[in-house]
Amino acid sequence: MLLESVSTMDFIGTKLADFLTYTGFANVEWANIIMIAVGAFFIWLAIKKDFEPLLLIPIGLGIILGNIPFKAAGLEIGLYEDNSVLNIFYQGVRLGWYPPLVFLGIGAMTDFGALIANPKLMLIGAAAQFGIFGAYMIALAMGFEPNQAAGIAIIGGADGPTAIFLSSKLSPNLMGAIAVCAYSYMALVPVIQPGVMKLLTTKKQRLIKMKPSRQVSQTEKMLFPIVGLLITTFIVPSGLPLLGMLFFGNLLKESTKTTRLAKTAGSALNDIVVMLLGLTVGCSTQASEFLTLATVKIFALGAFAFIIATASGVIFVHIMNIFLPKDQKINPLIGNAGVSAVPMAARISQNEGLKADPHNYLLMHAMGPNVAGVIGSAVAAGVLLGFLS
Amino acid sequence: MKKLLSVISFLVASSAAFAQGAHDFKINEVYVATHSCCDSASCKQPGYVDEYGQAASWIEIENTSYSTHEIRNCFVTINPTVLDKDMPAPQREKLMSAIPAGDPRTSLSAKQRITFFADGHVNRGTLHLNFTLPVGEPFTVYLFDGNAVDLLDSVSVPALPVGSSYARISGDEWQVLDADKVTPNAPNIAYHNNKIQEFKEKDPHGIAMTLMCMGVVFSCLILLFVFFHIFGWAMNRAAKLARVRAIRAIHEKAEKVVEMAKQGTTETKGIEIETYAAVIGLALHEYFGGTHDLESGILTIQQTHTTWADKSHELRTTPQHHQAVELKK
Repeated sequence: MLLESVSTMDFIGTKLADFLTYTGFANVEWANIIMIAVGAFFIWLAIKKDFEPLLLIPIGLGIILGNIPFKAAGLEIGLYEDNSVLNIFYQGVRLGWYPPLVFLGIGAMTDFGALIANPKLMLIGAAAQFGIFGAYMIALAMGFEPNQAAGIAIIGGADGPTAIFLSSKLSPNLMGAIAVCAYSYMALVPVIQPGVMKLLTTKKQRLIKMKPSRQVSQTEKMLFPIVGLLITTFIVPSGLPLLGMLFFGNLLKESTKTTRLAKTAGSALNDIVVMLLGLTVGCSTQASEFLTLATVKIFALGAFAFIIATASGVIFVHIMNIFLPKDQKINPLIGNAGVSAVPMAARISQNEGLKADPHNYLLMHAMGPNVAGVIGSAVAAGVLLGFLS
Repeated sequence: MKKLLSVISFLVASSAAFAQGAHDFKINEVYVATHSCCDSASCKQPGYVDEYGQAASWIEIENTSYSTHEIRNCFVTINPTVLDKDMPAPQREKLMSAIPAGDPRTSLSAKQRITFFADGHVNRGTLHLNFTLPVGEPFTVYLFDGNAVDLLDSVSVPALPVGSSYARISGDEWQVLDADKVTPNAPNIAYHNNKIQEFKEKDPHGIAMTLMCMGVVFSCLILLFVFFHIFGWAMNRAAKLARVRAIRAIHEKAEKVVEMAKQGTTETKGIEIETYAAVIGLALHEYFGGTHDLESGILTIQQTHTTWADKSHELRTTPQHHQAVELKK
């Protein structure tokens, strides 16, 4: 009897000791703690500072989730383990089918009216894409391969889904860092852009009042996604997944006959995809994969890319103003909105405009380059994919 | 009618999709065994061997598309009489070797190849054809679709040197490959991503890439700008014309009313002429006076002094809230 209880105790002791080797406490490393702190910081930014909570909360929690230490024993729980639930969710990122679904939602939610009313604002959206190629040149100078440089540079488009899409095709090994960097800087647009905008504009330029846009007919709004799709995809077929879904979503909205589909694409479907995308992108930042020198370089390049993109948009407005008649001048504060962070960048134009003149409302004007930026960054991604894949 | 059109469209789309899949199969490489003992167990010729360990002539077919397609039920032959367009399909089928169904190997994924042994022994399995390839003389290989009528691909093979194969290098360019370069079930040219290497060597600073990409981005958005600039102008013009037409119609009616008023004898269906005039006058007033269906969206609030909130008119200029709070307690 005594012997039996001793062997039972031994058995329990062995199993408990074995169990302890599986716990996070037994497997934790400093890198995990750092990443968990980063995740917590993202959540704090989202809740306390209201920096893009829809993105940062899923990413923040994803970072924590992806860095919970565990013993590699084939339990199929980690993101990078085949057949785990997280791995199944991650396929949407790895194979690049979340980004087009997000673009479907963006299309269904976006009103291109401001752009159609004042089509010259499209050019600002094109100019701001210089952020991508400025960062591409710097990345090459830092020693990245052309495909890696392109994957990193697309951060300058300020478009998370596009960044994930392109990096999944061109530089899959850097995708986690690129995705987190893109979303982090998108959330930090209110911190990065105002300084650059102020630096590149004078008080007088910030006071420019733009004429109200003309009324856009429903016919024009319906025609825009069709013509936009034809023009952009005929020139850059490699941008088809993103541009096709963007314009498809917009046609659902503007056709006025598929309101139910547009509503679903812009709300429930988009929310589901954003949740899964944010969570799995966060999860992909496992310390062993993420805490590298390349990640540090990517974050530095991302910041450069955003600054260059903002500056390019603002400077391009100055150039446009040289050629525009006096009553049609554009306020350079909408130049920053050429990056495709919709509608954050446009809101910054509005806020900075109101700071200069409390009666100067720039939001609707800034929405023009902002949505043009979405098209521009998708086209840029398509071109890079075409050249390098 | 609408349903009929939908069905026809669907059928046309489906048939087009099928044809597109089959037309992606291309003959990729042909190898002729230069001896006649391939069907005997004593064959010792080195080279690509079948499941029985015997080297034989072979024909390699590639799925050139980026999607999976089935090659089963297609036909392969070297018999040129099948080119006779008047020959009925059942007769054609007898002259050709059919690729049997029921073998997963006939499902070719993107850029995948399949090699058939032309040894005349179809009883040896799916990958064996019912004919052999002639040694030392030119011939043509034909690949037909499942209907035995549509020619998918063909290649004229010259008389090949010993051990060599005839391979498609790119597009329609074919080349005789030496014995050491024969590539059964493999790409005919080594694949590596030249694009990245090319950019690395010729554009190390990214300037060319920047110029090209920015050019394309600007082209797209400039085209959109031009289209919607012109279209917007046309829409504005159409709206203005419509407005002018409406004003003209109103003017015409107003003139008629004035005429009616002057004559005083027109039929008014019991309504006084002044009422007509008043209604049209009101419409004109509303049209020109600023009440429209579409407004500019500009709100102008002029601040004027009123006494409704004037502190001097209140009962108590400095309300003592603390007293009210105390009363509540």
